[in-house]
Amino acid sequence: MVGGGLAVVTLRNIIHSAVAMMICFGSLAGMYALLGAPIVAAAQVLIYLGAISVLILFAIMLTQAGDANLPAPFHRQLPIAIVVALAITGLVGWAVVQTDWGLAAEAAGAAVDEIATAIFTDYALPFEIISLLLLVAIIGAIYLARRPEEDERAN
Amino acid sequence: MGIQGYLLVSSILFGIGAFGFMARRNAILMLISIELMFNAVNLSLVAFNAFLPPDANAGAVFALMIMAVAAAEVTVGLALVIAIIRTRQTPEVDQYSDLKE
Amino acid sequence: MELLIALIPALPLAGFVFAVIVGPRIDHVPLHGHGHDDHDADGHGADAHGGGHGDDHGEVDDSAFRSIPTEEEQRDTSPHAGHADDLANAEGAAGVIPADLNDGIGQAGHVTPGAERPTYRSWIVPTVLVGVMWAISMVVFVDVVFGGNEHEVTIYEWIASGDFRIEISFLVDSLTAMLLLVVSTVGFLVHVYSIGYMDGDRGFWRFFAYLNLFMFSMLLLILGDNFLMLYVGWEAVGLCSYALIGFWYKKPSAAGAAKKAFVVNRVGDFGFGLGIMLIWVNLGTLSFREVFDQIGTLDEGTITVIALLLFAGAVGKSAQFPLHVWLPDAMEGPTPVSALIHAATMVNAGVYMVARANPIFAEAPTAMWVVAIIGTFTAIFAAAIALTQNDIKKVLAYSTVSQLAYMFMALGIGAWVAAIFHLVSHGFFKGLLFMGSGSVIHGAGGEQDMRFMGNLRERMTWTYRTMVVGSLALAGIPIFAGFFSKDEILAEAFSRGYLVFYAVGIVVAFMTAFYTFRMIFMTFWGEWRGPKAVWDHVHESAMTMVAPLMILAVPTTLLGLFLGIPPEEGVIHTWLEEVFHGAEEAHAGVLPGSILDGYHASGEEHHFELFGLGGLLLLVGAAVAISGVWLAHRWYVRQTDAPGRFVERIPLGLGPGMYRASVNKYYVDDIYQLVWARGGVLVSNALWWFDAKIIDGTVNGAGWLASRIGGGLRKIQTGRVENYGLGIAAGLAIVVLVYATVVR
Repeated sequence: MVGGGLAVVTLRNIIHSAVAMMICFGSLAGMYALLGAPIVAAAQVLIYLGAISVLILFAIMLTQAGDANLPAPFHRQLPIAIVVALAITGLVGWAVVQTDWGLAAEAAGAAVDEIATAIFTDYALPFEIISLLLLVAIIGAIYLARRPEEDERAN
Repeated sequence: MGIQGYLLVSSILFGIGAFGFMARRNAILMLISIELMFNAVNLSLVAFNAFLPPDANAGAVFALMIMAVAAAEVTVGLALVIAIIRTRQTPEVDQYSDLKE
Repeated sequence: MELLIALIPALPLAGFVFAVIVGPRIDHVPLHGHGHDDHDADGHGADAHGGGHGDDHGEVDDSAFRSIPTEEEQRDTSPHAGHADDLANAEGAAGVIPADLNDGIGQAGHVTPGAERPTYRSWIVPTVLVGVMWAISMVVFVDVVFGGNEHEVTIYEWIASGDFRIEISFLVDSLTAMLLLVVSTVGFLVHVYSIGYMDGDRGFWRFFAYLNLFMFSMLLLILGDNFLMLYVGWEAVGLCSYALIGFWYKKPSAAGAAKKAFVVNRVGDFGFGLGIMLIWVNLGTLSFREVFDQIGTLDEGTITVIALLLFAGAVGKSAQFPLHVWLPDAMEGPTPVSALIHAATMVNAGVYMVARANPIFAEAPTAMWVVAIIGTFTAIFAAAIALTQNDIKKVLAYSTVSQLAYMFMALGIGAWVAAIFHLVSHGFFKGLLFMGSGSVIHGAGGEQDMRFMGNLRERMTWTYRTMVVGSLALAGIPIFAGFFSKDEILAEAFSRGYLVFYAVGIVVAFMTAFYTFRMIFMTFWGEWRGPKAVWDHVHESAMTMVAPLMILAVPTTLLGLFLGIPPEEGVIHTWLEEVFHGAEEAHAGVLPGSILDGYHASGEEHHFELFGLGGLLLLVGAAVAISGVWLAHRWYVRQTDAPGRFVERIPLGLGPGMYRASVNKYYVDDIYQLVWARGGVLVSNALWWFDAKIIDGTVNGAGWLASRIGGGLRKIQTGRVENYGLGIAAGLAIVVLVYATVVR
C-alpha cells in the first residue's frame, strides 16, 4: 500500500498514477478487513475503487490531461515539499511511537449489523445530511461540467 | 501488529499524500493526493475503532461518513478542475496565476 | 490726598485713550505731492501712517513698503557719502528718506514754504491732562517731602489666588516723590516741546498717544508698592520705548533700533523676573514693606543671587555694560523721545529700583561690589566712546550711559542719597541738553553731524545759552547742579575707601567736561561748515520748543544750591533719610580702614569741612572740570588741528587704532552681531537640520519602511495553489511541532 502511494506521487504519467492509486485503495480495503471492519472494507472497494477511481479516470480522459508526458512533473518547490512532508510524517510518527497506548491485542471488530444499527439509530441525522450533501454535490457537478448548450445559443 | 503500526502506516500515507499535493503540477494529481490523505485518515480511524472501541462503533461509522463526503468532494472538485482545464487548456497549476499579486 | 495720588497715573492714561480714539479725527494734515523737496539734507522721515482726513489714498498704499531703501542706499544718498570715513557715524547720521517716500512736508517741524499748514488739535487734551498731573504731583511732592508724610493708597485687589495676593496700590514716600518731581516736570515740558518739534509730522496724534501711555507706565513704576507693580510698569515702559523709538517705522534703521532696544531690555528683564520669582519663592510676598522687613531671614547667598538678578534688570533698563548697546541706537527716535525716555525717566528706572531695594542690596556686599564695578567700568567705557562721536545725539546718549554709571557706582558703594541726588539733577540737565539738541537739529535743517555745523550761536541765541547752562551742569562746573551731585558721589567714594573708583571717577569727570564742551564748541562756535543753502534757513526754534529749555535751565542752575548745600549734608539727605535708614545704619558699602569707617569706629559724626578734606575734594573736582573745558576750547576753537596731531603722537602708533576703536564703539555691537545673531542663525540651522533630517527622517522612514515591507510581503501572494498548499502543510507541521514540544 505504501508502495502504491509512492507510485502515485512519483509517476510521470498520470494514468499510471491513477492505477497506482487503485492498487493503494485495494490494499487499504484489505487492511480494513484485517481490522475487523468488513463493512468499511466493502464500502472502500465500492466507493473508492468503483466510483472515485473511475471518476478520476473519466476526468483524465475528458481533459486529455494525461496525453502529453509533461516535461516537468514536479514544482520548483519540490525540496521544501519533501522537507515539510517528512516533517509532518516524522512528527506524527514520533508522537505515535512515544505514546503509551497501553492496550491489549486487537479487540472486537465491528460487525455489519452493529454498524447498520448504529447508522440508522445513533447517527441517523448525519446520515440524512450526508445524503443531502451528495445530492448537492451531484447537482453542482452536473452544472459545472456542462458544455454550453447549442440550443440555448440558438435561442 | 498493534495500533502503533497501523498509525505509523497511516501517517506515512498521509505524508505521501501531502507531498503529492505540494509537489506535483498536474491538477488532477493534486486531487488524487487529497484522496490519499482521506484514506490515511480513514485507516487511522478504523484502527482506533478496533483497538480502543468507542461507543456504537463511532470510528467505523465516521469512516463511512468520511468516505461519502470524500466522494462528494471529489465529484465537485473534478468538475471544477475539468472546467478550469478546459478554460486554460493546460492542467498545470502553476499556470493558473490570475490571482497573483 | 489719596484721591490725588490715584489721579496721578490715571490722567495720562485718560490722555492716551483720548488720543487714540479721538486724536486721528481732529488733526488735519494735508498730503502734498511727491518729490516736493527743497532741502539738501532731509532729516527724520515723515510718517505716512494714515492720520487725519487729508489722506486721500483710497486703500492702503504699500508700494512704500516694497521700496524701503536699504541701509546701503540710505547711506549712499546721504550728503555724508564720501565724507564719512568711519562706520559709526555713517550710520548715525540722520538717514535720508528718498523723495518718493517723503510726503513733501520735509522733516518734522518744517512745513515746506508755500504749502498748506496742517492743523493739529490732538495735542490739547493730552498736554493739558499731563499738566494737571504735574500740578498734582507738585502738591503731593510738597506734602510728602516738606510735610514728612508717607502715603499708601490701595486701589484694587488685582490677584487673589490662594496665597498669592497682589493689590494695585501706591506707595508715596520721599524717594517716590523725588522721582515724581523729575518725571512729571520733564514729562510735561516734553509734551509742550513736542507740539513744536513734531509739527509737520503725519503721525502727530500717535506721538502724543504714546507719550501719554509712557507717562502712565512710568508713573505706575515709581508709584507701585510691590515688585509686581514695578515689573508691570517696567515692561510697559519698555513697550512704549519700542513704540516711540520706532516712531518713524518706515525707516529701517529706526525699526531696527526699536527692536534692538526691546530685545536687549528683555534680556535684562528676564533676570529681573527671575529675581522677583526668587523673592516670591523665598518670602511668599512681593510687597516692598513686607519683603524688606523679612529679607534678613534669608541666607546671604540667596540674597546675593536675588540682588544680582534684580540688578540684571537694571543693567538692561539703564543701559549699563554689557546691555548698553540699545541706548545710542535709540537716538533714531524723535528728540523729545530721547529727552524723555533716555535722559529723564525710563533709564532712571533701574537706579530707582536698586535704590528702592536698598535693604536687599545692603545685605549682599558682593552684589554691591558688582554694581559698583559695573558702574565704574561703564562710566569710563561710555565716556571713552563719547569723545569721538560726531553725531550730537550720540554724544548725549553715551553721556547718559556714563552718568547713569556714576549713579550705579554710588549705589554700589552705599552712597544712596548721592545717587538719587545725581539722578534728579541729571534728569533736569540732560533733558535740557537733549531738547536743546533737538532745537539745534531743527535749526540746522535736519543735520545731526556736528562736523557740518558751527557758529550756530549767531542765529540760535536762546538755544545756545540754555545749552551752555546744561553743559556747565553736565561738566560739573561749580554752582551748577551737576557739580554738587557729582562731587558728592566722588567724595563718598573717597571717604568710603574706594580710591580706585574715585580715581576713575575723576578721569571720567575730566572726559565728561571735555566731550561736552567739544560738542558746544563744534556746534555753536567757529564757522559754519555745512551747505550754504542750509545756512540761509538757520533760525531759532519756535517758542514752544525754546520755552521748555528756558524753564529747565532754572533747576539746572539752582537745584544744586538748594539740595546740595552743605555738601553731604544737604537737605536732600534729610528728606531721604527714612528710605535709606536701614542701609545707612548698617554702613553698607563702607570699606574697613577708610575715613568713614574711622568715624564710625570712634563714634564721631562726619561733617563736611570746607577747609578740610571735603573742601579739598570739591576743589579737585572743580579743577578737573575746568581743565576739561579748557582743553576742549584749545582743541576745538583755537588750534583745530591739535586733536589730529595728538592722535598721531600717541606712542607705538596706537593712536589711529584707538581712535577708530572709539568711534566704532569698541566693536561691542559687532561682537554681539557675530556671537548672538550669527550664532543664533547657526544654532537654528543646526536645529533645523535635526528637525528636517532626523525627526522628519524618522517619520518618513517609518512610512518608507512600511512600504518596503509591504512590497516584500506582496510576493507571498503568488496566486498559485501549490504555494498555498505548501503554506498550509508547513503551518500544520509547525503546529504539530509546537504541540509536541509543549506537551513534552
